[in-house]
Amino acid sequence: MFNLIRKDIVLHKKTLMILLPILLVYLLLGTSSIWVGIVFCIAIIMGVFSSDEKSTIHILLNSLPYTRKQIVSSKYIGVFLFTFIVVFTIFIGNLMIHREIIPWEDLLFIFGIVMVLTALAFPFSYKFKSQYLLVASLVLFAIYMIIVNLFIKNLNDRIREFVQALLNLQSHQLYLSIGFSVIALYVCSWLLSIRIYKNKVF
Amino acid sequence: MENVIELQHVHKSFDGFQLNNLSMTIKKGFVTGFIGGNGAGKSTTIKLMMNLLQPDRGTISIFGLNYKDHEKEIKQRIGFVFDENIFYENVTLAEMKKIIKPAYVNWDDNLFHYYVKTFELPLNKKIKSFSKGMMMKASLTIALSHHAELIIMDEPTSGLDPSFRRELLDILHNLMQDGEKTIFFSTHLTTDLDRIADYITFIHKGKHIFTKEIYQIEEEYAIVKGGIELLDKDTEREFISIRKSNHGFEALTANKTRAENIFGGMALIEKPTLEDIMFYTKKGEEHYV
Repeated sequence: MFNLIRKDIVLHKKTLMILLPILLVYLLLGTSSIWVGIVFCIAIIMGVFSSDEKSTIHILLNSLPYTRKQIVSSKYIGVFLFTFIVVFTIFIGNLMIHREIIPWEDLLFIFGIVMVLTALAFPFSYKFKSQYLLVASLVLFAIYMIIVNLFIKNLNDRIREFVQALLNLQSHQLYLSIGFSVIALYVCSWLLSIRIYKNKVF
Repeated sequence: MENVIELQHVHKSFDGFQLNNLSMTIKKGFVTGFIGGNGAGKSTTIKLMMNLLQPDRGTISIFGLNYKDHEKEIKQRIGFVFDENIFYENVTLAEMKKIIKPAYVNWDDNLFHYYVKTFELPLNKKIKSFSKGMMMKASLTIALSHHAELIIMDEPTSGLDPSFRRELLDILHNLMQDGEKTIFFSTHLTTDLDRIADYITFIHKGKHIFTKEIYQIEEEYAIVKGGIELLDKDTEREFISIRKSNHGFEALTANKTRAENIFGGMALIEKPTLEDIMFYTKKGEEHYV
């Protein structure tokens, strides 16, 4: 299975080589590292995912000595690896550029959000295709905008405040319970994707 | 004789197509050609053999093992070639090798480079720039570089020029020399089979018609040509199907000796080509539906 993850790295080596320096540029400009981190993680992870989506590639991977479970699992484990690469770059970048150490809560927060987003995106993409993900997220975005404009005008501020409050909280118990919920969601999504992929016809 | 592939009572249905109670066996150490018209179920059968599809009912065993418990073990021992490009397009053959190599325990770099050299394949050109023939050679190189015991190919000769088709058949022929390997390949170019196949498996509309040794087909089947006056209710029953014209009839029988006894010197009895057999079987099927 680690061969499958290695395959993703070999295939996307060039993309990473281009994206990571750009990530540093963003840090240099002083953009919020949490926000940039999440966007880069999702872009890389979904890029890797979509390169395996052609039916001929499914035929290739399934004809090689791998099980379907392994093929799906490699993607779920890969998420950690790619998030780690991005987070590590941010950490080092911040240290070099701003001479400051990013609080570990921020880094964990990136991990958490990326896990939640991929936990939602992967089963959807296995069932349909990741290209429809864009459509789905545009629909969600429209709904969000409608809510912001019509119902809760200060939703953006509230979310920002909520995130700030969350990151400033010192309650370990809360972190732990959020952490567990994220992991539970991730594991459920993982199992669901395996189930969807087992019944897939190429 | 040992069977490498065994399908027993396999059912698989999709919208508008089904494999019905398909049972067949493929013998170890031989080349089996897999024939049938378009939509007969060849690709579906091959996908079932590769576990790319699961049967609705019935059992499939490869090397005497089932996919449920031994999936990786089985796939380690299979080399596969498909008629379309199944590799990543934006990589070179060298990178593709890097990706595939770690999947196989028995990967052999020397063998890989031997075939790359024999086929004159460029290692550092992107796969999407490969021609159909190069693509096939690349697939074959990957399929042959891990000492697979069973080579499964779906239409490997389609779209290839005649000279390369001959070259390919020679390579396959050489592979068979040690008697340990088994080749199973589908084709609709039946002339390929006369050159290399030991057995022929014929399916039609999702049903297994026969698996026979190639010489056995010549012994059993015959094309009978004669005047229309030879046909009556009884004699017509001897044939799988009949093509009548103003000048006479042409028909296929699955019992050459009987046909020889019945028609004796009155009709012409000829050796059928595989195409004849496919054509008349299809026609016969339509007639009785």
